[in-house]
Formats: sequence, structure tokens, C-alpha cells
Amino acid sequence: MRIVCPICGERDSREFSCRGSAVSLWRPAFEASDDTWNDYVHLRENPAGESSELWHHEAGCSSWLVVLRDTRTHEVIKCELAEEVKSES
Amino acid sequence: MVELVANSVSDQVSGRHLEGVDLRIIDLQCVTSIMPYKGQDEVVSNLLLKAHGVKFPEPNRVIMSGLVRALWFSRRQVFLIGVTPDPGLTKHAALVDQSDAWVVIELEGPRVLEVLCRLVPIDLRTSQFRQNHTARTQLIHMMVSITRVEKNCFHIMGFRSTAMSLVQHVSRAMSAIVT
Amino acid sequence: MKFSAWRILKEGLTGNKGWKPHWRNPEPKSKYDIIIIGGGGHGLSTAYYLAKKHGVKDIAVLERGYIGGGNVGRNTTIVRANYALSGNSEFYSYSLKLWERLKKELNFNVMHSQRGVINIFHSDAQKDAAVKRGNAMINQGDDAVLLNPPELRKLLPYLDYDNARFPIYGALYHPRGGTARHDAVTWGFARGADLHGVDIIQNCAVTNINTRNGRVISVNTTQGTIHSEKVGLCVAGRSGQVAAMAGMRLPIESHVLQAFVTEGLKPCIDHVITFGMGHFYISQSDKGGLVFGGDIDYYPSYAARGNLPTVEHVVEAGLALMPMIGTARMLRSWGGIMDMSPDGSPIIDRTRIEGLYLNCGWCYGGFKAVPGSGNVFAHLMATDSYHQNATKFRLNRFRDGVHLMDEEGTGAQHNLH
Repeated sequence: MRIVCPICGERDSREFSCRGSAVSLWRPAFEASDDTWNDYVHLRENPAGESSELWHHEAGCSSWLVVLRDTRTHEVIKCELAEEVKSES
Repeated sequence: MVELVANSVSDQVSGRHLEGVDLRIIDLQCVTSIMPYKGQDEVVSNLLLKAHGVKFPEPNRVIMSGLVRALWFSRRQVFLIGVTPDPGLTKHAALVDQSDAWVVIELEGPRVLEVLCRLVPIDLRTSQFRQNHTARTQLIHMMVSITRVEKNCFHIMGFRSTAMSLVQHVSRAMSAIVT
Repeated sequence: MKFSAWRILKEGLTGNKGWKPHWRNPEPKSKYDIIIIGGGGHGLSTAYYLAKKHGVKDIAVLERGYIGGGNVGRNTTIVRANYALSGNSEFYSYSLKLWERLKKELNFNVMHSQRGVINIFHSDAQKDAAVKRGNAMINQGDDAVLLNPPELRKLLPYLDYDNARFPIYGALYHPRGGTARHDAVTWGFARGADLHGVDIIQNCAVTNINTRNGRVISVNTTQGTIHSEKVGLCVAGRSGQVAAMAGMRLPIESHVLQAFVTEGLKPCIDHVITFGMGHFYISQSDKGGLVFGGDIDYYPSYAARGNLPTVEHVVEAGLALMPMIGTARMLRSWGGIMDMSPDGSPIIDRTRIEGLYLNCGWCYGGFKAVPGSGNVFAHLMATDSYHQNATKFRLNRFRDGVHLMDEEGTGAQHNLH
């Protein structure tokens, strides 16, 4: 797998670590219900296909990235800075 | 309080010369990381230029002026090398003295790329990675910063605490291209 | 058809013409008392025990691919009961006891070989952890022996004992651990289930789970709609997709775990050995290949194949422990799809849909659980009560944060196990 980091350019996957579903970006309010928190922390769509994930460019620029990836083929479709994805929403 | 004595890296590891590539330990003197506060990037860049003759570099680039270097190091983080930073910077950026935390090895010679391509997962050929280009990447498993200072000369910056491993890995790759 | 020495001799003398297929290949009926989705180890074992122990006569196992084509045919065949936490401990202990009489139970040679599992440790802290784990195993009634370096050296003379970075301080030895022939286990359970009347339906993918008033009523499949008021999910890495058919989301992420085998060698590794300073485990198959593996790749995947950095990582760990394997040529590598749960322990429970039961979250340790899992899941589906050795594999433990079984102590969070 090769990931095109918006800052560093195309890099080998070994430079990155995966945090899992990008759902982690959308943290519920502190006072949200247990079910909402359970949803956020544990429950996953776990798609076989296109999946939006959080990756950290650990050995590169240290950016958090939102990577759109096909979990069936490992094809990397899109990669954006998490900061920008978050601020657009 | 106990007086701690700093060990020089060159006491632990030494340079190496092989036909086509040389390995040397470089002493950078003063290294400071500079991380501008929110919205202060431009102010910091201007201050750097005024005080030290180098502005805040673009990602993946180094700017050199005499012995002073502004080395892009990560997102909105720059290493100012070779000079004590102007105190005026502290109002606009977080400054951390990194002088003892890093070691730099210089790898030079016509066969330098043959050595590095065994160690580093990025394309360092001249067409892709020119003079004054820099990258954060890995050398084997070690996190490093690699800068092309001249056509056949690279500076590899790694953790001071693992300097011996860094030199060992590079040295082994050097041996491999000779035999 | 019963296996016996006499039968093998007779077939050998008559050109092996009398053997018949070990299970039928039936058309699905329109209705069953119980449907098990997934014809892997867990699904077949569940169907077998439902029929054998609970007398359920009308069961279908629906398999999307073919029997033995999923994780049950793609693992490193290790069977052990060396868990430390209550919940896991009693379950795996129970499962190992079932393994020990599985050959007789199934009249099928599953080649269960109790060659011993040896977990090596490399520091005082790891030794403490090994002692604690060993005591937990003994308390559970299983076997554990703490080996000091000279004792270990007698068993495994070929390790790199003098490695400056990873010195070997000893090992925790679990003599009743070992391996089994994975395909044989699958075939044995398939044959056993079939003999008890279970319909094993291959090439039959479930496309939807239909419910009415909160109860399951039927499943749509590529071979038509099949009715049943009790449906069990045993689909491992595909749990997310199948649960979604019933409108559920699970605390599961599917990851790829790679495994490797070398060319066949003369016998050299007599045990199952694990490295304490890197994720690496190894055993030697009866064919002579060194079978080994390490960490998952640490990204969600359904590709059933991994990437090279993990291969390098695993091989490096292996060479740090036993340099001698460096001369062996690697023959094959492959990946399995692991249903990773947040705390690294499984889920065997009812769901909020009446009649729909869940068996998943086995992470990378499902093979050794096959007989145990089938037994306790069959118990749950037949009696609607939890089996005494599987009371803690509850789905709500994540939501409520109680009775989490985090063996590694890394935290009950995705991507940490």
C-alpha cells in the first residue's frame, strides 16, 4: 500500500499507522448517553469496500489523515488532512 | 545538584571511509525546534528572516544561509540549526532546545544513493529529490530526517539515543555495496 | 461410514474404491428449525453439538464458499489453554478438554498433537507476568511449568540465548498445548454433523436476514429464501456485513493476519514456541514445514492477503529468536480475516432480535476454540441459557464497561489487540 500524504507526497505504508474508522473524528458531547458513547467507541460499520479511516503519518510529517481506502483491495482512493476534513464539516 | 557531563557522539561512533562513499559525524552545535502559535506563521517567518537570514521553509525544504539552517521537520515545525534563536521568537512560537537530542551523519560520495536506497523507503534520485529537499521518513525502522545538502551529499538526522544503531545500519549498507 | 484400522487395511487392499464422500450435498429445504450461517469451524461445530447433544434434528449450515475454505483452513493450528482472565480461562480450559477426546468423539483423526506450548520471556517483568499467568492456569486446573534458562536450553538448544538485546530469562511451558490438523478438524465436524442429519449447504451466500416484530423469520440466500425462527451467526471476519443484514452494528473490526510456511524440513522444532520481545510464534507441521506468524497488519482488511512491511517485521522477530531458521526458504504466505473485538475476547450472546444469536470476536485465536465454541453456542441456541463455561462473552460488556476481558492489558479499544 502506498499513501499520498498531502504534505510529504507518496509514501510507503510502513511510515503510517492506522487508527481505524474515521468515526473517531466525530466525538460525541460529554453528556451524551451511554448508547451514543458505545456507538462511538465500539460499534463499527466495518465495511467490506470503501472505508474512511484515520491514519497517522507517524514516521513522516506527523499529520493525522483521513484516508479513503478499499478494504477488499487495499486501494487508496483519497487522502486528506484530518484537520481540513474536520473544519469543512 | 549532580553535574551531568555530556558525551560527544564521536566518542561512541566514528566515521567511515569506503571507495565511493564517506560517513562522517557532524556537530550541529545549537538546534532549536520552532512551532508557531496559531495564526503566527507569518510573523515567525518574518522574525526568522530578520534575525537569522532564513524564513520559515515550505514543507520538505531546507533554507540555508551561511552556517544557519531552517530545516522543515514536520507539520508547522521547523528546526533552526547552527544559531541560538532570537529571544523575540518566544512570543510567537513554542521553542524547544533540541541540541542534545539529535545526531547528524553526513553521507557523501558518488555511490551514496546505492547506500541509501537499501535503507530508506523513498525515492532519493536527483530527479525526485534535489538539493535543499528534505524529508521525514524511516531508515530501517528508525525515524529520521534526510536532507540533500549537495548533489552527492546527504545529512541524516536521527535520535541521539540511538546514534550507534543509526551508524551501524548505514555502515552495514556501505559494506554491502563494496563487496 | 466408520473409520477403523480394519477398514483402512481393507480399502488399501482393494484399491481404495469403497470410500464415499464424507457428507452429502443436499438442496436446501424451505424451512429448518435452526439455521447456522457460516460453515467454518465454529458453525460446523455448533451444528454438530446441536444435533448430537441437544437432539435438534432439522439444522442447516449455510456456507458462502466451500467447507474448509475460510479461516479454519487458513490458521496456524495452535491449540492451547493458557489464558489468565476469568471468562476466557474456564472456556479455553473446557475447549482443550474437548480437543483431548475429539478424535474419539468424531471418529476422525484430527491429529491433535500435545507437543507443548512454550512462551519465552526476556525480562524480570515478563517473568512476573508469566508466573501470574502460570498460577492462573494451575488454578483453572490446567498445566503450567516455569522453566529457568538451563531447563529451557535442554528443550530448545537452538535459541539465541546470548542475544544482548533480548536475553532469554526462561519460559512458561504449557505441556498440554500443541497443534491439530486444521483441515481434519473441519472435515471431522462436517462429517459428524452430516451423520446427525445436518444439511451442509455450500455455495449458499446469505443476502438478507428477515425479521418481523423483532423476531427473525427467515433468511434470503443465493439459493432462495429459507425459513427458520432460530439463526446463529458464525461468520468470523464477515460478522459486520451479516449483522448489518439484520440492522445491527457490532463492536468488530476485520483485520488481516498473515501466516507463513517454509519448505518441508527434517524435524527440528518439537514444540509451539512464542517470542516474548516481538510478536512471533512458530511450530513445525507434520509435513515438515515451519509454520509461523506474528502481528496483524493493523489496518482493516477483507483482502485475505497482507503487505510486505509486516512480513519483514515477523521474519526479523523470528531471526532474532532463532537464527537457524534464516536458512529455510519460505514457501507460502497468506492472510486470514480476523474479527477483532475491542478487548480481544469473543462474543457469544443473544441479540436484541429474538431468535438471532451471535458468535464472533475470536480475533486471531478462534481455531483452538472450535469444539468449545460450538458446544457453548449450541447450548445457548438450544436452551436460551448461557453455558456454565461461557457466561461472560456478553455483547453488552463494551457498552457497560464491566467484565471486559483484556488479556493483554492494552485497553478495550479497537486496533490495540
